[in-house]
Amino acid sequence: MSSGLELRQLTVRAGAFRLETVTLQIAPGRILVLLGPSGAGKTVLIETIAGFRRPLSGQIVLDGRDLASLPAEARRIGLVFQQYALFPHLSVLGNVRFGLRARGERSAEPARAMLARLGIAGLAPRRPANLSGGEQQRVALARALVTDPRLVLLDEPLAALDAPTRDGLRDELGRTLRAAGVPALYVTHDQIEAHSLADDVAVLIGGRLRQAGPVQALFDAPADTDVARFLGLEQLGPAAPAGGCSVTVCGVRLHVTGKPPAAGGLVAMYRAEDVQLSPATEAADAVNTLRLTVKAVVSLGPVVRVELAGPLAVAALVFRGAVPALNLRPGQPVCAALPPASLRLVPVAGVCSG
Amino acid sequence: MTAQAARTGAFPAAWPGLRRGLFYAVTWLLAGLLLAFIVLPLVRLTLATSPSQLADAVRTAEIRSAIWLSLRDAALTAVVAAVLGIPLAWLLARGRLPARSVVQGVVDLPLAVPHSVVGIGLLFVLSRRGWVGAQTGHLGISFYGTEWGIVAGMLFVSVPFMVDSVRLAIEGIDPRLEQAARSLGAGPWLTFSRVTLPLAARGVFAGMALTYARSISEFGAVAILAYFPMTAPVKVYALYLQNGLQQSAAASVLLLLVTLSTFVVFRALASGRVGPRATRHGHE
Repeated sequence: MSSGLELRQLTVRAGAFRLETVTLQIAPGRILVLLGPSGAGKTVLIETIAGFRRPLSGQIVLDGRDLASLPAEARRIGLVFQQYALFPHLSVLGNVRFGLRARGERSAEPARAMLARLGIAGLAPRRPANLSGGEQQRVALARALVTDPRLVLLDEPLAALDAPTRDGLRDELGRTLRAAGVPALYVTHDQIEAHSLADDVAVLIGGRLRQAGPVQALFDAPADTDVARFLGLEQLGPAAPAGGCSVTVCGVRLHVTGKPPAAGGLVAMYRAEDVQLSPATEAADAVNTLRLTVKAVVSLGPVVRVELAGPLAVAALVFRGAVPALNLRPGQPVCAALPPASLRLVPVAGVCSG
Repeated sequence: MTAQAARTGAFPAAWPGLRRGLFYAVTWLLAGLLLAFIVLPLVRLTLATSPSQLADAVRTAEIRSAIWLSLRDAALTAVVAAVLGIPLAWLLARGRLPARSVVQGVVDLPLAVPHSVVGIGLLFVLSRRGWVGAQTGHLGISFYGTEWGIVAGMLFVSVPFMVDSVRLAIEGIDPRLEQAARSLGAGPWLTFSRVTLPLAARGVFAGMALTYARSISEFGAVAILAYFPMTAPVKVYALYLQNGLQQSAAASVLLLLVTLSTFVVFRALASGRVGPRATRHGHE
């Protein structure tokens, strides 16, 4: 008997929107991050698993049991929302006790223990309105975990937080979920959260699950250009095999690792942080090194995005200090290297997405 | 300068201030007119009565009992409206209603129906030979000329106030709160009683205050269903017919004072400025 969550060919209609034949598995103790842009159907999927929507077809199986006949309150699924949805008329302790009381548990001890475990025992008598976003997030997690759920669904739980709080909470959230040992479905549109939290990643675009698998497998071999774009890869241009381990992209010959497949419809993609910049004075004959011109320099805080033009349009992420060192100003020449290991040949979406 | 302004269609420098001033002047004037229209008759009515006449009215047993009857039945109507109105409001706000707009239209119908017509219609249904009245008659409940009839008339005309107030309150609750409750193991009863209802409490109290106010002021429907026993508005009308304007003034003022003071208390309770909710909210 399989344990954990299993979605089999799940199809859901929500107004004009359709979520098509989603098949997924999450083993206990593993975190699956569901990535997708707004409107991809992530929330519809969560609502269906939680029991607030009826699927058109397909099965939701949790710990070997089909959930179709169970109402939401009998599914034992913990929910954490983006805006936390804490009960404003109850104290923190009242919020965490809610699920225990609903199951007939009189004692407040399990709730207090859970608050202590998450380091927020001191918040017990406070009202949600008087808590910071990070505190509310912890309370929501405590409320979801205290009833010992068999699955936790998190709908963009960090999206409403400011950046420093989010960065601190991300690891803590991951540790807490893993320690709880339940399967977790974590919905986000933030690929950083996928990188740092996920065991497995699934990408949902336009109501269809485009790809699912272990996190590294997805980042290494995205199924199509839509998925790759969503995982933070940028498009270099259509790639044609050029003999051996090389391709031509917009007339430029680039080395890749391994022999490119003969099939057409491939696009060369890369990550801007993998691009290595060096002074234009150096020889440009090293592997995959191009002499380009700086088009624009955009500050992103600690890092700077440098847009380069030339035979290929390339963007590079560099640390702030590299800007004066390499004299990165619009119009200046610079050498950009695209290491073969950083290049991905990705099928165009819709052609080979199978 | 002005020529240039005229050419470009812009107003000279002095005009924006003048136009702004004019806006506020017109707004205040029209708003003031409307407020005066409400307050003046009530003030004039109060001035028409001397304290001794008012004291006479208080001493008149018939007037006292009419006012007491109105208070009692309006309060009872507010409770009945809450018990029957909250489920309907929930269905309109959250339920899967096939013809929601039609149902909403039915709820608001009493606003449009003349109240004398309401009385006639209710009488057809609730009289001893009516569809409902014939059944309730077996239980010993009759409506014509009884307090049941008074409550029925009051209820009919105040349904929209109750239902719409509660519906708006429930619609204002984030549905995710109810979803969270369900996911935590609370079934529909528990979710409603522990989450939806407490969060909609303000709306329920506001609806009851409005229902009370609408009920205590109701004349048309009540006068047809139950002219006797006389509620206060019916009594005032009867006094006016018998003794004229001046004689009905004292009873009117007394009724006015009682309704206004009770309504003010009800409203304060509903808005949470007094009562247990107020202390719980800001602090802690």
